[in-house]
Amino acid sequence: MTGQYQIEDLLREFAPQVLAALVRRYGQFDACEDAVQEALLAATLQWPGEGIPERPRSWLLTVASRALVDAWRASSARRRRETVAALDPTDHALAADLAGVGRDDTLALLLLCCHPVLSPPSQLALTLRAVGGLTTAQIATAFLVPEATIAKRIVRAKQRIRDAGARFEWPAEPLRTERLGVVLHVLYLIFNEGYTTSSGPALQRADLIAEAIRLTRLLRRLLPDEAEVAGLLALMLLTDARRAARTDADGRIIPLADQQRDLWDTAAIAEGQAILTRTLGTGPVGPYQLQAAIAALHDEAPAAEATDWPQILALYDVLTTVAPGPVVTLSRAVALAHVHGPRAGLALLGTLDTDERMAHTHRLEAVRAHLLEQAGDTIAARDSFLLAAKMTASLPEQRYLELRAARLRHSVPPAGPAG
Amino acid sequence: MKYMIMMFGGIGAATQSRPPEWIAGMHELLMNLDTELKESGECVASDALADPSQAKTVRFTDGAPVPTDGPFAEVKESLAGYWIVDVNEERALQIASQVVGYTEYPMEVRRIMDHSAQP
Repeated sequence: MTGQYQIEDLLREFAPQVLAALVRRYGQFDACEDAVQEALLAATLQWPGEGIPERPRSWLLTVASRALVDAWRASSARRRRETVAALDPTDHALAADLAGVGRDDTLALLLLCCHPVLSPPSQLALTLRAVGGLTTAQIATAFLVPEATIAKRIVRAKQRIRDAGARFEWPAEPLRTERLGVVLHVLYLIFNEGYTTSSGPALQRADLIAEAIRLTRLLRRLLPDEAEVAGLLALMLLTDARRAARTDADGRIIPLADQQRDLWDTAAIAEGQAILTRTLGTGPVGPYQLQAAIAALHDEAPAAEATDWPQILALYDVLTTVAPGPVVTLSRAVALAHVHGPRAGLALLGTLDTDERMAHTHRLEAVRAHLLEQAGDTIAARDSFLLAAKMTASLPEQRYLELRAARLRHSVPPAGPAG
Repeated sequence: MKYMIMMFGGIGAATQSRPPEWIAGMHELLMNLDTELKESGECVASDALADPSQAKTVRFTDGAPVPTDGPFAEVKESLAGYWIVDVNEERALQIASQVVGYTEYPMEVRRIMDHSAQP
């Protein structure tokens, strides 16, 4: 008998390689992806009982090829004559393809899954299935939606890719940088999806974090010289390092300043710092590297009071010029408040009041509430906490904000700000 | 039989004057009950809805559907959250009573229509 985890790890590693080999040879990403899923399911059923085959990757390729033939047989009798000959499962050329699956194939696969014609939810689902080797059921569990929803999302995403005439390639510059940016954003979204939810089936959401980190590691192996890829990996590691301290036993959010720092994962912090140190200065500094550098400064502080806020503020100043946006302004206001006092932070927040992009998020109001509390304006702080609680769509956040408001009403001494 | 157990928006206003310990206790009660119903297999679905002030209403105006901000009905009457449970009526009422016993705020228990001709 073979361990379930060992099998899953193998399948996830081989899934994109087998898919890339099939797509490179036959085109038709859509049909090939279905065939690979079928092969993965077959392996999940057979391997635990029969043991892992001697050449697991070839086994998967053979089963996937058969599934492809069957699908084509079912769909078109005319096509059958052409494909059956080409798709003999023992085909040596195909096996050679598999051996030759390289860097560019996996990258091309990632680019297809993160194609700009797709909506972010579709990009996430397709990336996790085609590159991550997760099943539709696993993805559905992670996103807390019915399996049929994810299945339909994937079918439609593949149709759109076909209709857009997307090509299986690793394009030349400047398109390459642009498309790589989308891939990084999709990986960042997968990570955030797992990180921002802390209540409910927390363990399943943690799988999304692990998967985002695994895929970003894979991307870094393929593109070791891309500074922003390394920056994103460092950012994920340095942020996820605080996971155990981020919520209490009941799933309630604990702000950065109040976290028990000895619960932080020192190995993850060390790895993130090492990646960051090797990367900074090797390429153009981008938003992921800067955010990772900020996360590192938080991680390095032995206590909240020991945080190097002037340095963090300086990094936010750079981030404001490299990648300006309302969310950056919001974080910069927090740093500003720590360095120059809550009123300075509140003044900067005021510049966001008319920003349309902030109209539908609770974050502006939540930060304002914390700064008002620091400034000693408890009545206004309480109103801001309550308004933020009404605006959020996150249940744990709402509970946290309601509690903060209730504490002010019952005049418990004010606590520190959320970082 | 399936029932929808509903909680209404007024509960937010009703709890604002409570002390933090009471509010934390309510959060704990709701989370524990939700976990219990899911683990027992009685819960078919459950969700909390975002505040009605964040809602939009689509109205048929001048010959076309037009989205406008907010439902302007009484907040206390708007749905705040629900459980759909597959249990008999007695059990559904018992579940609602557990919450009402703490919050002192009313909940509604409604039978969900069957899709089959013979219930």
